[in-house]
Amino acid sequence: MTTTTPTRQDAPGTLDRTGEESTRGAWLVVMKREIVVRALNKTFLVGLLVSVAIIAALAGFMAWQGSKTESFTVAVPAGDAAATAAVESAAAIPEEQGGGAELTTLEVPDDAAARAALADGDADGWLHVADGGADEGDAGWVLTGEADPDSTLTRLLTAGVAAETLDANAQAAGTTAAELTAGGTLTTDRVDGDAVDSQTLFFASFALALLFFIGALGSGQMIAGSVVEEKQSRLVEIMATAVPLRHLLTGKILGSSVVALAQNVVFAAVGLAALSFTPTASILPSLSTSLVWFVLFFAVGFLGLAALYAVAGALASRTEDLQHTTTPMTMAIMGVYFLTFSASGTFETVLSYVPVANVVSMPVRVLSGDAAWWEPIVSLLILAAFAVVALLVSERAYRGALLQTGGRIGWRSALTARA
Amino acid sequence: MDNDSLEVRGLTRTFGDLTAVDDVSFAAPAGLLTGFVGGNGAGKTTTMRMIMGVLAPTAGEVRFGGDPVTRAGRRAFGYMPEERGLYPKQPVLDQLVYLARLRGIAAPRARAEVLDMLDRLGLAGRSKEHVEKLSLGNQQRVQIVAALMGTPRLLVLDEPFSGLDPAAVDGMVDLLAEHTARGVPVLFSSHQLDLVERLCERLVILKSGRVMADGAPADLQRTGALRHRLVVDGDAGWVRGVPGVHAVDVDGPVALLEVADDASLQRLLATGLERGGVRELTPVRPTLAQIYREVTA
Repeated sequence: MTTTTPTRQDAPGTLDRTGEESTRGAWLVVMKREIVVRALNKTFLVGLLVSVAIIAALAGFMAWQGSKTESFTVAVPAGDAAATAAVESAAAIPEEQGGGAELTTLEVPDDAAARAALADGDADGWLHVADGGADEGDAGWVLTGEADPDSTLTRLLTAGVAAETLDANAQAAGTTAAELTAGGTLTTDRVDGDAVDSQTLFFASFALALLFFIGALGSGQMIAGSVVEEKQSRLVEIMATAVPLRHLLTGKILGSSVVALAQNVVFAAVGLAALSFTPTASILPSLSTSLVWFVLFFAVGFLGLAALYAVAGALASRTEDLQHTTTPMTMAIMGVYFLTFSASGTFETVLSYVPVANVVSMPVRVLSGDAAWWEPIVSLLILAAFAVVALLVSERAYRGALLQTGGRIGWRSALTARA
Repeated sequence: MDNDSLEVRGLTRTFGDLTAVDDVSFAAPAGLLTGFVGGNGAGKTTTMRMIMGVLAPTAGEVRFGGDPVTRAGRRAFGYMPEERGLYPKQPVLDQLVYLARLRGIAAPRARAEVLDMLDRLGLAGRSKEHVEKLSLGNQQRVQIVAALMGTPRLLVLDEPFSGLDPAAVDGMVDLLAEHTARGVPVLFSSHQLDLVERLCERLVILKSGRVMADGAPADLQRTGALRHRLVVDGDAGWVRGVPGVHAVDVDGPVALLEVADDASLQRLLATGLERGGVRELTPVRPTLAQIYREVTA
């Protein structure tokens, strides 16, 4: 029932008379603004940079730790071939079995010189035969240190001494150490055939839960805040006369989702890049798959959460009301955070299908190899259904609540209000 | 030049048991300033919100140019809500351009128009400042720009003059005059009756949600009882005895009278001359404030 009259050509800045076509792109204008305002927000940027720096630093530290070779200097009595052989044997222990350390021998003429070397720090330990019964070798060896000898050194030399002693005794008995220990090696194997060890799994699920928590809570609060700000300042009344409220809501949800998602992608990328420099780089392929699922799940799940947060903002009439209106969402997110990173077994399987919780749980199960190929897909569809329902309900409530300014409103009156 | 007028018919709005606006009908003709006055709680803001589509009417309709108003049509209306507010922590220019773009104006044109208007209102150098850093008067000006963007076909302004100093009031009046000169109807509410009296060619008085008076101020003044001021030599107490004359106030030689008709007026004059001389006999036009008080009493 709009009167269509020709557009005036004379005056500058003239609006198109029908105005119908122009509203179609309004949500895009709103979305672009939300992205720009949020992304250029100083607090947000600082937080992002600090987090990235922390992740990089952590990974860097882990890498440095892993690549560092331990080295020790062991004082041995001069001319004691057995001691020297023991040290060499300890040095030869491969890294996979806990060795890989560099051991240097320092020949000392007597006990006093050895003690002096320890006191001066020239030697980390002094390997010598125990007092009494030295020639027999029955009393064993002693590793003396300035204080308690380093535990790694002790461990390595225990193995070194044992190997050397075995060698010597075997030769004395007319055989070799190799013959005596044939068939005595032990390796580990897993029934469930996983590639990822449980420690990494725990760390990864904690990381995912944390990413979810930060992203969902941070961006969600931001949406609610901006909605109530517009409501409080009556800006929303000016905007409501220009575009349908639906467009405002859509633009807000999409804008915040894009930023929250981008934040997570940045964290994930930095984390993966940093991990590739560490010894745990071998799990990267399976971790990457899991992360991709996480990003996908987060994108879909956050759409639903964002819609609910927008309603929380619309139900409030002042910023102070937000604490109350956002409580259900905050509780849910915290619940997900605590439950998911410690869940296991059947509980975890169930959680990986429950909307919102599955944002963390399903990618974790993918990482641990528990999930069949179709499981994440089904779970994602369930999450998508949740998001759609949340969006539909929220749209109704948002429109009903946004223009009511007489104090805080409940969900029920928002949903039943005349638009 | 378009000559579309705003017409409100039977507009009603209830909130539960409370009827805030009760069968309100009036017109804001094209090219005229229509003043919308009434006490607090009279229903002015609610009516304006219904005109702008921010609130849905319980009954009645709003027409513009003869046709019912649609959402698309409202995009071309300029609105200034009673409570001021923009994004406090964002630059003035960015916000105004954003609002213009929501109305469908392309970005470069929006920017040019906003800068032009800010310049005209003396805010040229402050376009990059955050709104909260401006003085209240300047924030008001920014709010006005938000309402005037995009060559609106109707202006609905809720208390546009509140908080403005006299210079700013004049600036605002000039701005509004430009719009009425183009045929745009302007409906604005105000508590400052002297201002309304000075500016408005039409007036709507609202009380308890109902229209008490609607028309040109001159007509409204005429419907009020016409009074005369009489100044005589000596005491004017005798006026009470003149038929057809009602003494509103007598104070020594000065009397304020309501005269029933012309015959009574001549009688009064004659009696005054008999009694020693008439210094002054003038009709007294009631001020808008008086009309308002009478009408809303």
